[in-house]
Formats: sequence, structure tokens, C-alpha cells
Amino acid sequence: MMEQDKILRTLRGLMLAINLALMLYYSLIRGLTPLRVAAGFEARDFLAAAGQIPAPPWQMAILSLGLFVPLAALILGKDYLPSDRPALRATVFSAEILLAAAEVVSLDFYYRGFFLMVLADLVYTAQEKYGRVCTIAVLTLLYALADYSIASVLFPSIPVRQYLSYYTDAFHSWFSGVESLLTSLHVLLFVVFLVLLFLGQKAENTRVQQLNAQLQESYRQLQDYADKTEHMAELRERNRLAREIHDTLGHTLTGIIMTTDASLVLMDAAPDQAKKQLELANRTARDGLNDVRRSINALRPDALEHSDFAEALENTIEKFCLTTSAKVTYTQNAGKLDFAPDEEEAIYRVIQESLTNAVRHGQARNIEVCLDRAGDQLTITVRDDGMGMPAGKKEGFGLRHMRERLELLHGSLQYGNRPADQGSGFELTARLQPRQKGEENI
Amino acid sequence: MAALLGISVAAVAGMVAALCWPRDQTVLRVGVFSGSYWGTPNGSSYQVLDDAISRFEAAHPGITVEYESGIPVDEYSEWLAGKLLTGEEPDVFFILPDDFGLLAETGALAPLDWMMNGEKGLDRGIYYDACLQAGMYEGTQLALPYESAAMVMFVNRTLLEAYDIPMPENDWTWQDLYDICRTIAAAQPDSVQRDYGVYGYTWQNALYSNGSTLFSEDGKQCTLADSRVATAIQFVQELDSLDAGYTVTAQDFDTGHVAFRPFLFSEYRAYQPYPWRVKKYSSFVWDCLRMPAGPEGGNTSELHTVQVGISARTTHAELAWDLLCTLCADETTQGQLFLQSQGISPLRAVTENIDLLDRIFAETQGTSTFNSAAIGEIMRTAVTVPQFAAREQATAMAETAVNSALADNQSLTTSLATAQRQINLYLQNTG
Repeated sequence: MMEQDKILRTLRGLMLAINLALMLYYSLIRGLTPLRVAAGFEARDFLAAAGQIPAPPWQMAILSLGLFVPLAALILGKDYLPSDRPALRATVFSAEILLAAAEVVSLDFYYRGFFLMVLADLVYTAQEKYGRVCTIAVLTLLYALADYSIASVLFPSIPVRQYLSYYTDAFHSWFSGVESLLTSLHVLLFVVFLVLLFLGQKAENTRVQQLNAQLQESYRQLQDYADKTEHMAELRERNRLAREIHDTLGHTLTGIIMTTDASLVLMDAAPDQAKKQLELANRTARDGLNDVRRSINALRPDALEHSDFAEALENTIEKFCLTTSAKVTYTQNAGKLDFAPDEEEAIYRVIQESLTNAVRHGQARNIEVCLDRAGDQLTITVRDDGMGMPAGKKEGFGLRHMRERLELLHGSLQYGNRPADQGSGFELTARLQPRQKGEENI
Repeated sequence: MAALLGISVAAVAGMVAALCWPRDQTVLRVGVFSGSYWGTPNGSSYQVLDDAISRFEAAHPGITVEYESGIPVDEYSEWLAGKLLTGEEPDVFFILPDDFGLLAETGALAPLDWMMNGEKGLDRGIYYDACLQAGMYEGTQLALPYESAAMVMFVNRTLLEAYDIPMPENDWTWQDLYDICRTIAAAQPDSVQRDYGVYGYTWQNALYSNGSTLFSEDGKQCTLADSRVATAIQFVQELDSLDAGYTVTAQDFDTGHVAFRPFLFSEYRAYQPYPWRVKKYSSFVWDCLRMPAGPEGGNTSELHTVQVGISARTTHAELAWDLLCTLCADETTQGQLFLQSQGISPLRAVTENIDLLDRIFAETQGTSTFNSAAIGEIMRTAVTVPQFAAREQATAMAETAVNSALADNQSLTTSLATAQRQINLYLQNTG
């Protein structure tokens, strides 16, 4: 790619040089001939043949050279144009087209190759899709209109052949020969430039397509890996659960079946033995239950995993206060909080869910959380000053899960908007009877 | 990139500044030829111009008017064309009658209408119509008249008296001319030393006095086949046939053997006063008359006018206009010119100024029938030949066609119609 860039830039430099040479050629013809004609006392004939007064002899040289300098500066300096400034780029491109047009006008439309050079240059530089199409359209149109026979209708000027007719035939032929040679060479360079540019671009396109296909393939493989990994994680988890069930429940149930079988056999012959066997079965079942609980513990919430329950609750509320703008008042009147893990989890979830609801649905500013114990009964009250629950709204998933969770523990859930005399807000009360230590929830 | 841009912007700005930088003093350049356009001796050709410039400079402090002196009239056209070609033409320049068409067509002249109608404008009525008409091109005034000269008929009074012919009046006709010429021709012995009626009177001189011109005003149409043109040609042919077999020369007129010869009025003014009268035509008494009237026209003369125009590329258009007015519309300048040069002023007020006319005619012979009233009448009725670049060639074509028609004895009407078609074609192709 770098090498091709170098070739294209060399071609562009050559085109610039040819245009400069042709520009100087026309300027010299235009500047010297009138002086020669006037010195040869042929001025009146010249005017009669021309039908118009030509501009001052050196005007073309001054104008065209004056325009050529900024045009060349734009063409050569454009490589340093930042690609992330579209407005600047569009301005520079437009300026280049305008300068080329001014150059062609200043040369009295004797030569319009400047449009070809700028076209080649802009097609090479302008990577913007629409910019490129516009540039090509505008420059092609300008090139077509700048034909001497068309343009001289609007901008009448003395044809260059009239200037040339004041030289001897030999000079005339030489001048015209060099002029056509340079013009043709310029067109040839233009064609070569475009062919090279488009060939290079085609190769570039193919390469991009190949890379794109490779990228797609890699992405698909990555997706496969991700699927497989997920599947394997699932399998591993299933295996673990199966192992867990096998190790705990399977073992326990097997033991229970064997001891109860034995007690059935011993029931009549040796009731004492049978009783022992049943006690054994009972103990085995309890041990099994503990094992199951331990297994379930592995799936408990993080907060409860490693810390004391009371501390976990406080941490959660504190964290909640920190993460939301609501103010939470936590009152704990329930004494020592020592519950079975499933009970802890239920209480934890009820409080967590209520706080979330109060802020999410009620936009509450102040929330009161109260834990009370009356005899065996634990009461959790969560009260907020939010908007409350709209009338007729059905119980959502959160509340339903809360209720199910409590009912599993023989508890209950009540909720509703606070009475009107206590201001707006929502109030939720959960009740449950925690089991005594050693008493299992069967 | 930024540095390159900066340099080029600075270069362009420098160039613009250099071109537009105010000069200390404004210089207005004038293009003028030396001597008289009328080909007559003129001892102080720059006197009128110098005086006009002094008055202009006095009225415009800080402005200098310059001109290049010593350009002969016959080189002036080429000199001006060269200056136009090299872009060094003066801001204000004199225009010879034959150059106006070319200068107008090439766009060398600034249109004057907006100046004429503007604040410092001019009343067109101060000029004779034909003079102002000379500076019109496609309906636009491009130049103002400076000095005119009309075609008049020189009369050899000595010759007429010898043949006992009374001097014709100023309102004479073709018939009067023909009768006189026939009388002279009839009295001639068939010898080498004979007298003639007229010399140099062409069908083109005749057609203006028969109410016609050769081209339409815009120069796009030739009117060669017009019946009035045919009448003029036939009349001149009849005159020529009186002296059949003999060729009249200018020498014959100069030595006093021709009764009539058309001349520009400037000749009359140049050679009528004392010192010059001795130098030319000293062997006979001569005078001049208006051109004889044709059956469908009047005593109309062809008018030649030297004009002054402003360059279309001048950067001092307003000053140039002021100078143009000082030259062409100022009665002091024009009065001085009328006295010193041999032309006629295009300004009515000057040409018909009795004091001036008395001073001019005081120098001429007291017996002249040509008086101040006649000059005003000539100018009022004169016609300006339409000026356009292709005129010279088209006129040559018409002359060739007429000559060959007369020589071949073809039907005049048919030949003229054919020639008119060809000339029209030429005019359309070059226009």
C-alpha cells in the first residue's frame, strides 16, 4: 500500500508540473504576442480580426501564477489534513475546486486540464462516500462546460490560434506540437493515476472482505465456546447436586429404610430392639435433614453466608441508605436474632424486598423497619411515606414470593396503604413463629 | 500546510496592495494625434488641447493630464491599436472617423449614457444630430464629437464666368449641375486642352443627397438595391458620359480646367484665407456650394467627425468624463477650435455664433456666396455614414459591384440586387 501511495503521489506531482508548464506556455504566448504585434505595426489588423480588446498582456501570467501557488499548496499540503474534521475537509476540497475553476477562467479557457488534476487529487484524498460522488459530479460538469467553444460564448476571449498566427509556420508548429504533447501527456497521467488508484482500491476491498470473513468466523467460534462453557457449568452444577443428593438424602434414606425394615421385623419378636431401631431411624433422618440444610446453605445469599444474621441485616440497611436517598429507621425489639437458616433467609428477603419496593414503586423518603417479638411470634413491620399502592393494583411478583416464602414457614403477610389519618405511604407486616432450636420444620 | 497557506495568502495580499496602493498624484492620459485630421496645414495643433488641459487642471487640483505628442494622423490608428493591445491605452483618446466602428465593436470605448444622463450630464440638444449620431453604436453613445467636416462642392468661378454661366444658388439640384456640365462639354473642341464639368463626384456623394445611405444604421444591411441608390448611380453615369473618351484628373482641377469638385469643408477653410490661397488654386477664383439635391433628397452632405472617447478600462471614469466635457462640450474650447482648426464645431451654439463666424469669414473673399447661414444649414441636414468594423470591406464590395455593372452594361437593377445579397451575407457573417 505504501508503495502505491508513493507512485500515486509522484504521478500527481508530475501532473502539477505539466499544468504549470502549460500555464506558463499560455501566459507567455498571451504576454509576448501583443507586444510583438504592436512592435510590428499590426495592432489594428489584430484588433479587427479579434473583434475585442484583449486584457493587458501580463494579466494572465500574474493571475494564473497567483492562483497556482495556493492551488499547489492545497494539493500538496492536503495529505496533512486531519481525517476527523469533516467541515475543514469539505472547506479545503471546495477551495481546491474553486481555485481550479478560477485558474481555468484566468487562462481564458485555453486549457481546462486543471479540473482533471483536481479530480484525480480529490478522488485520491476524499474518502467520504458522498464527498467523493459530489466532487466527481461537480468536476466532470465543470470540465465539460470549460470547453473553449462552449465557454467562449459566455466569456468571449481571443482564441489562442489567433495569437499563434502571428508567428512563422515553423514556430507555430513547434508551439502547437509541444502544447498537444503536454496536454496528451497530462490526460495519459490522469488515466494512469485513476487506474492505479482503482486497482489499489479493489485489492484493498478484497483484503477487507477477507478480514471481515475471518472476523465473523472467530466470532462464531467464540459464541460456540461460550455456549459450551455454559453447558458445562450447568452439568457440573447438576453433578454436584446429584452427588449432594446421593451423599445426603440417598445415604440417609437408605439408612432409614434399613432400620425401619429391621424394626418391622423386630416389632413383634423384640419390641425393645424395634424401638431402638426406630430411634436410630429417627436420628438418621434428623442427621439427614441437617445435611440437606447444609447443602442448601451453599446456595444462600452472600450476606448471610459468612456473617452473623443481625449484623447482616444492619449492613444491608446501611448499604441501602448509602445507595439510595431514602432514610431508613431500623428498630430492633426482638432480642437475640438466632434463627434457622431458612427463617433467616425469609426475614432477610422480606426486609430487602420491602425496602426496594418502597423506593422503587413508592419513591419513599423515609422508611421505618421494625422487628418485634411477642411470645413466640416475630413481627416484621416496614412502613414508608411514599405514594403507596395504586388502588386495584394486583399483587406483584415480589409480594407473592414473599407470601409463599412465609407460608412455607407457617407465617403470614399483610400489606396495604396506610390509613389516611397517618399520611400517605405503604405498610407491610409479616408474621412468623420461629422454631425453637432443635425443633425442626417438618 | 498552514505555513504554505500563510505564504500564499501573504503573496496575494501583497500583489493586491501593490496594485491598489493610492498614487500620490492622479494622472489622466490623453491619446491625440498631431496636426489636423483634415490633412490641411495647422501650425499650432496642440494649442487648443493645451489650453483645455490647463483649464481642466485648474478646475481639478491634484490631477495632471498628460499626452504623448508627435504622433502623425496616419500613424495614429496603429498607435492607438498597439496601446489597446498592450493594455496601455490612454484614459481619454481621440477617435478618427474610420476607427470608430472598430473601437466600438471591440469594446474599447466606455459607454457614456450613464454619465450623460447623470448628475454632471449633458443635454444632447447642444449638438447637431448627425455629429452625435457618429458616436452611437447599437443605441449607445460611446463617444462625443470634437470636430466635424462636411462634404461641399468646390466651384471654379473663373471657369463658369468664362462660359457665361451664372453661379448656382445653395439650393441647386442635380439638374442644375447636369445642365452646367452639359453646357461646358458642348462647348469643347476635340483637343487635348479642354475644360470639364466635374471631377471626383461619385455615386456615393450623390446618394446622400438623394435621401439614401449605403448601409442601415446598425451596419447589418446594405441598401445598394434601393431605387434612390440606382438613381444616384445613373445620374453619375450620365455626368461621366458627357466627357466620354476623356479622363478627368485632379491636375485638371488644380490648373483650373474643371468647374466642380467635391471637397471637405475643411479644405475650403484651409485654403481660402490669404497666405494659403496663394499656395493652392491660385490660378482661378473659387468658392464652394452645398451639394446639389437629388430628386428624392435635399442638399445633404456627408459628415466626417473626429470624436473623443473614454477607455472602457480607465480607472478614472469620472475625471475622464469631466475632461471629455471640457474638450467636446465646453464652448470656450470649441470656440477656440472653430477659430484655429479647419473643421466645424459640433456644438450648435459655437457653429452658429455670429461673432465667431464673422471672424472666420472676414478672412475669406468678400464675394463668397457661401456664408454663415449655409454652414448651420449644412450641419443640420448632414448625414453621418454608419460606422462599423466591416464597413471598409463592404463599401469596397459595393464599389466593385457598381463598377462592373456599369462596365458590362448589364441591367443595373439585377446586378445591384445580386450584389446587395452578397454584401448582406458578408455583413451577417462578420457581424
